[in-house]
Amino acid sequence: MLAFALTGSLYVYSVDIEVDSVRTRTLNTLQVEAKQQQTTRAAMPVQVYSQREIKSLNALTVTDIAKFFSGVSVKDYGGIGGLKTVSVRGMGSNFTGVNYDGVMMSDIQSGQIDLGRFSIENVSEVTLSNGQPDDIFNSARVFASASVLSIKTKFLAYNQTKLHEAKLTLRTGSFGMLNPSFFMAKNAGEKWAFNFSTDMLTADGTYPFLQYYGNKFNLSEVLKRTNSDVKSARTEVNSEYRINSNEKLSLKFNHFISERGLPGVVTFYNTDVSNQRLNDQSLFGQIHYENKTSKKLQHQYFARYNRSYNHFSDKDAKYQGGILNDEFLQQEFYMSSVLKIHLFQTLQLAAATDWWYNNLDKQTNINFRNFAYPTRHTGLANIALKHFSEKLMLSANLLYTLTREHVRVGIAAPDRNKLSPTVSATFKPSADTDFRIRAFYKNIYRLPTFNDLYYQEIGYTNLRPENAHQFNVGFTFSDSNIPFLSILELTTDAYYNRITDKIIAIPRDLFHWSMTNKGLVAIKGLDVNLKASSKISRLGEIRILTNYSYQNAKDMTPDTENYGEQIPLTPQHAGSTSLSLAKKWWELGYNFQFTGVRWVGQLTDSRNKMEAYTTHSVYANFNYKSWELKTELLNVFNTQYEVVKFYPMPRRNFRITAAYNF
Amino acid sequence: MKTKNLFRVAFVAAVCVSFFSSCDPTDDNNTTPEISTGLFTLNQGEFGKNNASLTYYDFANGFASNYVFEDKNNRGLGDTGQDMIKYGSKIYIAMYKSSLIEVVNAKTGVSIKSIPMKNAQDASSSPRSLVALNGKVYISLYDGHVAKLDTVTLMVEKTITVGPNPEGITIANNKLYVANSGGMQMVMDSTVSVIDLVTFSETKKIKVNVNPGTLKADSYGDVYVVSSGDYGAKPGKFQRIEAGTDKVSDIAVAVKGFDIVGDKAYIYNFEYDANWAVANKTVKIYDVKTEKLLTDNVIAATTLDKTPYGINVDPVSKNIFVGVTDYENNGKMYCFGEDGVLKYTFTTGVNPTKIVFTTNK
Repeated sequence: MLAFALTGSLYVYSVDIEVDSVRTRTLNTLQVEAKQQQTTRAAMPVQVYSQREIKSLNALTVTDIAKFFSGVSVKDYGGIGGLKTVSVRGMGSNFTGVNYDGVMMSDIQSGQIDLGRFSIENVSEVTLSNGQPDDIFNSARVFASASVLSIKTKFLAYNQTKLHEAKLTLRTGSFGMLNPSFFMAKNAGEKWAFNFSTDMLTADGTYPFLQYYGNKFNLSEVLKRTNSDVKSARTEVNSEYRINSNEKLSLKFNHFISERGLPGVVTFYNTDVSNQRLNDQSLFGQIHYENKTSKKLQHQYFARYNRSYNHFSDKDAKYQGGILNDEFLQQEFYMSSVLKIHLFQTLQLAAATDWWYNNLDKQTNINFRNFAYPTRHTGLANIALKHFSEKLMLSANLLYTLTREHVRVGIAAPDRNKLSPTVSATFKPSADTDFRIRAFYKNIYRLPTFNDLYYQEIGYTNLRPENAHQFNVGFTFSDSNIPFLSILELTTDAYYNRITDKIIAIPRDLFHWSMTNKGLVAIKGLDVNLKASSKISRLGEIRILTNYSYQNAKDMTPDTENYGEQIPLTPQHAGSTSLSLAKKWWELGYNFQFTGVRWVGQLTDSRNKMEAYTTHSVYANFNYKSWELKTELLNVFNTQYEVVKFYPMPRRNFRITAAYNF
Repeated sequence: MKTKNLFRVAFVAAVCVSFFSSCDPTDDNNTTPEISTGLFTLNQGEFGKNNASLTYYDFANGFASNYVFEDKNNRGLGDTGQDMIKYGSKIYIAMYKSSLIEVVNAKTGVSIKSIPMKNAQDASSSPRSLVALNGKVYISLYDGHVAKLDTVTLMVEKTITVGPNPEGITIANNKLYVANSGGMQMVMDSTVSVIDLVTFSETKKIKVNVNPGTLKADSYGDVYVVSSGDYGAKPGKFQRIEAGTDKVSDIAVAVKGFDIVGDKAYIYNFEYDANWAVANKTVKIYDVKTEKLLTDNVIAATTLDKTPYGINVDPVSKNIFVGVTDYENNGKMYCFGEDGVLKYTFTTGVNPTKIVFTTNK
């Protein structure tokens, strides 16, 4: 990637204004250039927030960053510990892969990765790729989602003058939040590098909200959100052994534990609705070996073990013994090997094979019988070709997916064998202008989760994978020679997605649902992204990041009353803007988000309408020597809004963060 | 429940008005109807969506008006309207997830009282079904109890323990019969509790098929039970508890739901095909006096749009009302004559289930 980026005509990006820069200058220059190239050179739309930009987004977790990507809907049930998942371009959160330092995260039970569990304290970059990342030197699994959210953690580059860095952070704020964290990176000679990061979060999570009993002209009441407390702790250790400059071995170990209340849906006239608790314990360890010694042939290997346990409990007199206890344990063993060959000067070939094994166990005290105890082997093989020149980039890959399932009780899902192709291209008409036209087509399957297939009385083992076709055309423009601006980047993409065999739950009665492949969704959309920053050093650095998304996402499922209607919870219009002004000692910022009208049911009934909302947040940062102080005021105008119906979001709230670097 | 704040007027509304809000084409400007002679339909709504509602259908002008409760009371009915009865001049509505009994003036649609149903720990006791006799309304509570509500004071007089997760409740032979479903137990229940109305205490439990739900009594003291089975090896059944002997016998008729008026049980049923699509939607008539099925499908000439969700029969006209649903969108009410000929339909809220008839004469 780096080598490729350097072949192009590069503008010189000023590193001096990178306030948080602690790395050596040469290396930083290369990395920044490579990063800037990603968004405008990529054939598939990619949006990147660097560590520097993340600082200006009023973000607490990776979810808050995802809200600033165009085309993204974050399902946020409110509260500090609540579940937060991401869906991209109207396709459902199971289509979004989460790539954590090169390896895809997985949840075989629900298929959804809770982004709330990733702290931003050790994150250096968050990237959203529609389709897949442009780099073909990736595991096959990276190609197996409709879009990929990549999280890259911080590492300390080798530097003779500074062999370690550390940061101690204490954050506090509304909802009784206390969030201490510690990050340390160390180089032991030229070969070994380590980092360690840990953070803890406690919050009582309560907040007042305004509830209307029906539409907004009705009676209302100010109530208190309860049972939304959280306690969590996350620890990560990374180690890198640099065998030589182009060959390295890295190890990662991550542990996460949390205990939280689930406040549940607001119920009219009844504040005693949720006594549900969720306890999560998950750990994973991964190892990665990479060899880029040869210009002709490069190869890398991944292996990972993942174990996730969760315990859901619900206290209610209706249950035998007054409590429901559901316990789930899932495991994954994963391996991958990737090979890249430079066939000619301008042509690369990459091949990757992945294999992994999943299992799921369940225990419950209520109505427990016939649990399937499913296991699944998944195999992927991917072959990719990429041709590039300054004018033209062409890329194509073919992904083969196979699954083999077994169950201890009942009938297993049938074997699946699928082929899914992707093609993409960028074209640069003029050598003088950094203007590119791009297009891609990607076909991908979303495998049913174990919940879809085996959930008691609901699961349906004959479910086929969901099938998504994505078409995208767009252009990118970047210029660094505009007066007063150090950089301007504009990307605009129009897309059409069609999802067939969509897995939806159809009801058998109010409390019993069954999964089927009935759904059909067609989404026409537009994503616009603009980034600009000033270069008048007298005024400080002014940055603007803005995006707009249009999503016409229609339910085309035949024989339903919702045919032709916008799919639930998906706004037609949404956008955000982030403005910041940085001087040497301080920085001020403003963030704005707009979400248009959404619907939760048929459009002919106004009760199904969810009003549009805007939120405004501001922050001020101060840096003095090794100290940092950040104060944030979120939802400044005290707007009461909902992302999911009857899950009220917090109104005005604040955070204060103090950090010491040493 | 913070009832003290309940009627606080929404002055905060101004704060929340987004500057992106615009004219809404769906805002219904229906004038609130006068309640005359017609019927109220209870629309159960979706679980967790706070969209239970009342539809008023006027017999004279044939006009159906949704959200009557909300129009008359300036607030929604709440979450999951499970059952509704009319007793005297009042309508009683069991709100399951909101965990309250809504008492409504049958002539105006205006709420008289919302009675929170809470247990000793102040947790939801979750009302399920209602039946009334001699100035009392009896309420089955999903946390394993039956409550007795006085219709004059509108206070709960006494609550007793029955089996787990009671569903249907009915009165026969001066006794209460309560179906213990046990849907939230390790193993589902299969009993009907019998409660003496004088002492208001459980006297015995009758064994029936697993997971009993709806209960109805005929005028001869027989009690009819529909059970859903365990969704596994044991299928649902339609059974009769014989008056006097309490002997349980199976009736070879497939039943999802039913109503009894006079000597007839009006039954709806449907089946699922391999893809969970609904098939074979029928309305049957069963004679509770002779214990014989009179007709296998009285509405054979009509194809119901969606899945049947409730059946109610007008005791005066003997018109058969069948509510249908797709569980998500507004439902529809079909009105058939006693002979099964379709008379009219009207649109209801989500999941139309129960009907009470009202007259202002």
